[in-house]
Amino acid sequence: MTQDQLRDRGLFFAASDDEDDNANATIAQSVRPASPPSSSPYSSHQKRLFFADSDDDDIPRFQTPRPTVIDASLVRNDDDDSGSDLEIPSFEEVPRASSVSSISSGPSLRTSSPVPGPSGEEPPVKKRRLSPPKVQAHTEQLEAPFRTAYLGSFIVGNAWSTVRGKGYIKPGDVIRIERDDPDDSRSGLSVPAKGKKKALPGKGKTKQLTLGAMLKSQPPKTTKKSDTVVRLTNDRGFEFGRLPQHVSSWVSKLLDLGIIDFKGSTVVDCPATLHSGADLIVSLSVYVRASAFKPASTSAQEPPKNMFNQEQETQDEQTLRERKTTLLSLFEAVNLRPRRESRVQGDGNTEKKSDDMVKQLTQHPGGTKQKKTEIVGDGEEVEVEEGEELSDNELDVIYKKAQQNDLSMAEMDPPDTFTLTLRAYQKQALMWMHSKESGEISAREAVSMHPLWSEYVFPPEPQDGIIDLTEDEKAFYFNPYSGELSLDFPKAERKLKGGILADGKVQLFPDVILLIINILRSVGMGKTIMLSALIHTNRDPEPILPDDTSRDLARARQLKLDNAFRSIALGQTKKPTKGPSATLIVAPTSLLSQWYDELQRSSAPGTLQATIWHGQNRLDLDGIEDDLKNDAPITVIITSYGVLASEHSKLLKSGGQSSIFQVEWLRVILDEAHHCKSRTSKTARAVYALRARRRWAVTGTPIVNKLEDLHSLLQFLEYTPWSSYSFFRSFITLPFLARDPKAIEIVQVILESILLRREKNMRDHSGKRIVELPAKEVTVDTLQFTSAEQKIYDSIYNAAKRNFDQLNAKGLVGKNYTHILAMLMKLRRAVLHPDLVADANDKSETKPSGHSKDGAIDVDVLMNDISEHDLSSGSKVAYAESVLANLDTSDDAECPICLDVMQVPSIIPTCMHQCCKECIVSYLAICTERGEELRCPTCSQGPVKEQDLIEVLRPRPGQDSAHQESIGDEKEETSTSEVFLRRNDFRSSTKLDALVQNLRRLRDQDPYFRAVVFSQFTSFLSLISVALDRERLSWYRFDGSMDVKKRSAAISEFKQNERKPKVLIVSLKAGGVGLNLTSANHVFMMDCWWNAATENQAIDRVHRIGQEKTVYVKHFVIDRTIEGRILQIQKRKTAIVKEAFRGSDKSGKADSESLENLKVIFGDD
Amino acid sequence: MALPKRIMKETERLVADPAPGITAAPHGDNLRYFDVTIQGPDGSPFQQGVFRLELFLPEEYPMSPPKVRFLTKIYHPNIDKLGRICLDILKDKWSPALQIRTVLLSIQALLSAPNPDDPLATDVAKHYKEDEKDAQRVSREWTEKYASN
Repeated sequence: MTQDQLRDRGLFFAASDDEDDNANATIAQSVRPASPPSSSPYSSHQKRLFFADSDDDDIPRFQTPRPTVIDASLVRNDDDDSGSDLEIPSFEEVPRASSVSSISSGPSLRTSSPVPGPSGEEPPVKKRRLSPPKVQAHTEQLEAPFRTAYLGSFIVGNAWSTVRGKGYIKPGDVIRIERDDPDDSRSGLSVPAKGKKKALPGKGKTKQLTLGAMLKSQPPKTTKKSDTVVRLTNDRGFEFGRLPQHVSSWVSKLLDLGIIDFKGSTVVDCPATLHSGADLIVSLSVYVRASAFKPASTSAQEPPKNMFNQEQETQDEQTLRERKTTLLSLFEAVNLRPRRESRVQGDGNTEKKSDDMVKQLTQHPGGTKQKKTEIVGDGEEVEVEEGEELSDNELDVIYKKAQQNDLSMAEMDPPDTFTLTLRAYQKQALMWMHSKESGEISAREAVSMHPLWSEYVFPPEPQDGIIDLTEDEKAFYFNPYSGELSLDFPKAERKLKGGILADGKVQLFPDVILLIINILRSVGMGKTIMLSALIHTNRDPEPILPDDTSRDLARARQLKLDNAFRSIALGQTKKPTKGPSATLIVAPTSLLSQWYDELQRSSAPGTLQATIWHGQNRLDLDGIEDDLKNDAPITVIITSYGVLASEHSKLLKSGGQSSIFQVEWLRVILDEAHHCKSRTSKTARAVYALRARRRWAVTGTPIVNKLEDLHSLLQFLEYTPWSSYSFFRSFITLPFLARDPKAIEIVQVILESILLRREKNMRDHSGKRIVELPAKEVTVDTLQFTSAEQKIYDSIYNAAKRNFDQLNAKGLVGKNYTHILAMLMKLRRAVLHPDLVADANDKSETKPSGHSKDGAIDVDVLMNDISEHDLSSGSKVAYAESVLANLDTSDDAECPICLDVMQVPSIIPTCMHQCCKECIVSYLAICTERGEELRCPTCSQGPVKEQDLIEVLRPRPGQDSAHQESIGDEKEETSTSEVFLRRNDFRSSTKLDALVQNLRRLRDQDPYFRAVVFSQFTSFLSLISVALDRERLSWYRFDGSMDVKKRSAAISEFKQNERKPKVLIVSLKAGGVGLNLTSANHVFMMDCWWNAATENQAIDRVHRIGQEKTVYVKHFVIDRTIEGRILQIQKRKTAIVKEAFRGSDKSGKADSESLENLKVIFGDD
Repeated sequence: MALPKRIMKETERLVADPAPGITAAPHGDNLRYFDVTIQGPDGSPFQQGVFRLELFLPEEYPMSPPKVRFLTKIYHPNIDKLGRICLDILKDKWSPALQIRTVLLSIQALLSAPNPDDPLATDVAKHYKEDEKDAQRVSREWTEKYASN
């Protein structure tokens, strides 16, 4: 029934709306010959009817409202008929007061007639009315299902009379509200739908009262004087009074702007005899016109950021602003409150929950602002203001929203030229990226309301005093910042895209679309592959833009520079025949070759031409677009942030050219895009200056630790309006600082439309994890120092602690921060290996002394030595011979010192007695310390030198000979297949020994194992490599000091499939991100980093897509050292997001957090 | 402080396979502290005597020698009134390859072969040098008096 009623009403309204749409149509519908609508309403809603026709004198009278039921059925059966039936008579009726009470009773807005959209102009009214199957205010089409909709009523107590005499009106009479012909007063305004132009100037003509008050009351912001007179006329069209100025000031505007109508307004009370100035009490029922929901001619597309420019207001903007202020006044007058203000959408429960979280977020305690230095790009340091930093939990809240619809996303298959198989979630990502690039329908349905909009509900309209509570609530939307109204749900994404797609051209050339695939804590999702698939999928060059300056205007200011340069370039080279087709990938230096490899690997031969643009001899890129044929390979240029930044400064400095900025790229991809998170850094500015049609930012951490990190990405993406810093700041940063939950919501909404974020542990719609990764077993090996190491460590620690305590007592820690950090550094090195903290001259003794690099000794040579040395005692030679002969069998010999089976038997060459290497070495160390002579513990023969000891390395039982061969190099094969001896000319350390032991064990279990060893200290990496040499393990090294070529060579050799164990030693900093090391499944972490996330990221090099085996991770930690404290700090919540000790500004001052951490380090247990 | 594996191993072996004439048992509350008895070797003035000693393994053991002391009074040129023992392997000739067992055996051997040229108890040493018979008599007396249960 309700529907029917609606239609009924809709019918009616539809007609009236039609009028409005024709620009010059008057409100007086009666003028139209056969306006069916007017009739039907009469049946049930006289006032509306009345109102519709109110302009004319022949006001229909219709006292007895029909029962709705009848009405409805009539209408449904035949609109026309019902309409015409009712039409004529009703005009004569004046609505009775009974039904007129302006205080609402019935819903008014669901009717089906479309708004004067494209289709709304002329078609037969009835058809249109019926066409929408269901009446929905909520539809997404740009159709308003009604002509006017009831907004509410309000009483004006102090309208005043302008006439004298009786008979004009009496209480209960329906009145009309009119404006003078707007032309004289608002000629300048461009009003999209000039609705309420008075159609009957003649009638309404009355003397204008010019009260001073009226002028005063003009909307404060209007600069030009405008008349705000709103006249009240009776049903015969005679003016009898006016609205008071405080009401008319905004009513007049709303009428002028064609936003509202008044229908069914009545006189509530008035003196029987009017006199000029007599008080009238009138009740006004406000109806909003459907046309008001049409995007104002310009407003919708004007990026709101203009509001922030203090430039000249345009007409449109002024109109919008008037809309905005007057609508707000109206809503206030009729007591209409937003149902929600761009709340997170969801069912009640989750909504509430997320609200809570948002609240928590914003209650985040304010941090003191500090400057700190961060590294961006390729080692570029920038100072950043340490504003509000976000913890992981908070970030989760922010991201959650962006992911909620990901399950249902469609998938897309890559083209044939892409040779790898994508996983389901990768196909989804491809679909998403593709749709973003091609501007097609959103792959992911965005359901968030645009953050700047508020949702209102049409109030129920009074129907004969009855409010139909069964009516569905219908919503409409209002943007209190711009004054726009909409019936369509203002999807965040669409609105924003609208902002970008400002000039129709963009429909053809979607300008910027980007995405951030990001995966905090869970790299290794195959980003590279997904983007490669995208490159293959959207490979066609874009058309040349006739002139894209208009778009450029919207861009950041740097582009002006570029344009200047481009003109040079264009002048020199022939005009390209095709639009941009090449892709530029910007990545950290360490990942360049990986990108190259992955692109090659994923492409069918000849379909993609990738070039690494790095190093000294960079090609001129000007020509890359020239030789494009249809089947030419896709061009991809890979470069680093460092190169980009230096090219950019070259460009700025000398006024010279840089081809990379002249080329217009089809697509720019920023890998690890957080490298440009600081918008003032050189790297970021260089990135902004790139010219590209499509932009992608790939990062695991779009928000590294504060909201403004996001801005830099948005700026790169040219994601208006948020790319404007002031806008971002006004709507996000500042509200966030003020604990306004809105800030988070806005960020959530932004992210939802542009961010695709997956985590390894996410599940798809069928509940399976999107990435099935093998298990990861993490163990921590707590090791004990040898006493010698302990002593070295203790002395350093005690000195540092003394130092710190003194400084702390004097409060000077902050000033000597760098000094303390240096001490900490020394401690952390002492934990690894004594040599790392030893003075240079101490080190010399452990230098390998000219033997082969693995220190091997030939047994025969050894025997010769012994016999030459000790010709006298034949028994000794015999003993030596027996020892050597038994080396391979007597593998359970007991060490005389520890009484245990010797792990690495070490022979004392002078007497051929054996001990564990560890035991004899520490014994010798103690003797040295005590100043005693170094002698064999067994026979007291001496002297014994540590570096003369001979280690006996024998294979573990169960190792087959094939393995022996595989580990052996040429030397070993000749000496012995089972045992080899080597000189102990290398000083090891607890951690090194532990590593070596683990690797040995590993080799026993898996002769072809692959392991990755991480350390932060390249000097330690060098020691590790020596130790590995001595174990005859093949190792490969990857650190920041190596050039790109060497790095990629190391990686590819490590990955090569060979039948031997391999170890890759990697510096944590250089190899912690991006690398794909899935061929290994053992990870050894030699030291602790302040921040566990960094370590995890390193581990994820191995534990990522493509890994098929269980990953074993081992952390080596020395008991009771700084490492335990570091682990403690890792656990401290705050240390998770920021690196604990980076918090110093240039003067070396520590922030409180860092101080706290220092206290953990030096605190007592 | 965890007990090093070596000490546990030595203790086990001392208990399982004691040296003839020697017992050594660790204290329940300090496994580095041993109650030791050594029988006087046959043919020596200390024959028939059972001498109690205490043995303590310092933190650095086996890199440092154990500390051993006679608790039973003994008349011996290399053992003083306080029970301290003059034995090179307990001093500078210590080697980590030595063990509790070897130390105690060495002490037992010392009882058989006093060395008055390297004395600790100078008066006893002098006595042994000047009149060995009489000195041995005193030793036997002391053994009877102090070292026989």
